[in-house]
Amino acid sequence: MSYIEIKDLKRKYVMSKEVSVEALGGVSFNIEKGEFLSVVGSSGSGKSTLLNILGGLDWEYKGKICIDGKDIKEYEPNFYRRHIVGTIFQQFYLIPSLSVEENILLPMKFVGTKVVDVKQRLEYLLDTVGLKSRREHLPKELSGGEAQRVAIARALIDCPKIVLADEPTGNLDSKTGESILNLLKELNKTEEVTIVLVTHDRETSKKTDRVITLVDGKNV
Amino acid sequence: MVKMFKYALDLILRRKLRTFLTSLGIMIAVMLMTFILFGMTDLQSAILTQFSSVFKPTDLYVSSQDMMGLSSMMSAPSKEAEKKEQVIVNEEIKEKIEEVEGVEDVYPMFILSGFDVYLEGDEIPYPRSFVQCVNLPGNHSMYTSFKGENPILKEDGIFVSDYVLSFFEISSEDILGKKIYVRSTTSRLLVPTTNKNMISREYVFTVQGVVETSNNAFWITADKGLDILVDIGRFTNRQEYIEKVGYSQILVSTAEGETLEVERYLTEELGLNVISTKTIVDFISTLTSGLAIALVVFGLISALVASIGIINTMVMSIYEQTREIGIVKAIGASNTQVLVIFLIQSGLIGLIGGVLGLTITYLLMKVSDPFLVEILKEQGFGSITQFFHFQPLNAIYITLGSILIGVLAGIYPAMKAAKLDPVKALRYE
Ligand SMILES: Nc1ncnc2c1ncn2[C@@H]1O[C@H](COP(=O)(O)OP(=O)(O)O)[C@@H](O)[C@H]1O
Ligand SMILES: [Mg+2]
Repeated sequence: MSYIEIKDLKRKYVMSKEVSVEALGGVSFNIEKGEFLSVVGSSGSGKSTLLNILGGLDWEYKGKICIDGKDIKEYEPNFYRRHIVGTIFQQFYLIPSLSVEENILLPMKFVGTKVVDVKQRLEYLLDTVGLKSRREHLPKELSGGEAQRVAIARALIDCPKIVLADEPTGNLDSKTGESILNLLKELNKTEEVTIVLVTHDRETSKKTDRVITLVDGKNV
Repeated sequence: MVKMFKYALDLILRRKLRTFLTSLGIMIAVMLMTFILFGMTDLQSAILTQFSSVFKPTDLYVSSQDMMGLSSMMSAPSKEAEKKEQVIVNEEIKEKIEEVEGVEDVYPMFILSGFDVYLEGDEIPYPRSFVQCVNLPGNHSMYTSFKGENPILKEDGIFVSDYVLSFFEISSEDILGKKIYVRSTTSRLLVPTTNKNMISREYVFTVQGVVETSNNAFWITADKGLDILVDIGRFTNRQEYIEKVGYSQILVSTAEGETLEVERYLTEELGLNVISTKTIVDFISTLTSGLAIALVVFGLISALVASIGIINTMVMSIYEQTREIGIVKAIGASNTQVLVIFLIQSGLIGLIGGVLGLTITYLLMKVSDPFLVEILKEQGFGSITQFFHFQPLNAIYITLGSILIGVLAGIYPAMKAAKLDPVKALRYE
């Protein structure tokens, strides 16, 4: 039994009776614990759709996803998003009015009981992503690479088991992108976190342990 | 929860101006409500206390006419009512009143109005000069205090009030024994006459006592007053005046417990106009509660308008915060938490409005209170020291009320925000 099992995953966007798009048409694959996996595919092939479902943002799918043998539908959606997965986006999605530190700590505002020492964890993550000196800064004062590092730290603050990254280097130049990839790789080792990275760029995907290719909503 | 509270506070502080403007509505509602609670209740009791200090509950003031226009203010005019005013309070009526069971004393009164009243050695006449003519001793309960040797008015004696002292800038010791001139000036006289060509007359009195009251300024005996009226109006004698014009008023003292019955008899059987403590109290209550109701209605309307303002602001901020809602949902906020964050925001707007409103009214009260007290004192409310009374408990209720209004107004927008689909919210530009 694999750590994550995705079986015959289908997602259809229904706009009206006549118009609908089948973004995923039966995707099946497994992910092992601690793996750094990439899903590669051209634009519109259904990568974001897949990641939204894995990230617990979209529950209107058909098929089955099991993590550690447990169907993810058995989780409370918020608990799932809070403790099981952490998501990073191409657009960073930081909150403009909050400082670096506050952005990283934001998820903890919605957590009831804490499993980690938040202060210690924050210091550790700031150190790991190399933003100790920028903690008081606002997102607009950061470069793209720095903003994505903040987003990574935010995704990791509550020690999730899985990190999902939707085109994390898509808005960055290749050099910065590479440093982000290296950071993810490092975290994959040190945090023993399973990472699923989605990209349209084959070069990026080559840096990961294993590549799954998505074409028109199906894995080949 | 504390963290969510801080986050909600952060959200509304990001839009300081809008938060402030939205809370203005609540502020105005609160100001109206505070005014009612802190001003009106005391206004009513102040008037009543003041009133009962000069008006004994067992006293009735009887006249042929509706002197204060009280009854006509409370009911539509009718022919029936007009007929009633034809009654002349003459000797016969007076005797009838004396025979009514429960009546203890009957003091006929006349009022001289429109005379110029001068103090010996002073050029300027006392304004608003009503001279009341009644055989009441200076130590009667109608006067709050009396200074002087003899409380029983002599033929040419006059009592003056403490207002007269302050007007003429003289002490009570100095004014005793001084002369007071009451002069008729034809153009301004308001007394009944048998002849259009009145004569100018001057009547001289000696100050016999100083009384404290909020009623009139000068008192002479009823007989002397009647003589003046007969003289000025060129009536042949006292009898003719009483028959044709009648007493201006009769003060009827009743036995305790009989007042209502006497009042009923005088109004219904004798067709007289009676002013009693009860009529005045009823009238004041009608006035003040009417005012209070009007203010409450305005308060409620502005609270309603304010909540529409809050709903509008909160719906607007959903559109502005759509992305942010998507982000917090994506990183683990539950629908309930988003709901609570929005409710806290709208509740905070209510709180800000409430606190602002309370503070402003409090300051306004502090600033205006001395002036209001001054005005009321000039109007004869001598015993008042404070008009507004700040009531901490009511202030707390008002604050809680404005938070509640905010939270209620926030329910719809909060539910809307909570239901947002995170994927769509993140894509929202
Ligand atoms: N919310 C949506 N409503 C309708 N169609 C959608 C929606 N999201 C994605 N799609 C469609 O589904 C397909 C897959 O989209 P997406 O998963 O975003 O692809 P990718 O991330 O690989 O570019 C596309 O054809 C896109 O137009
Ligand atoms: Mg995409």
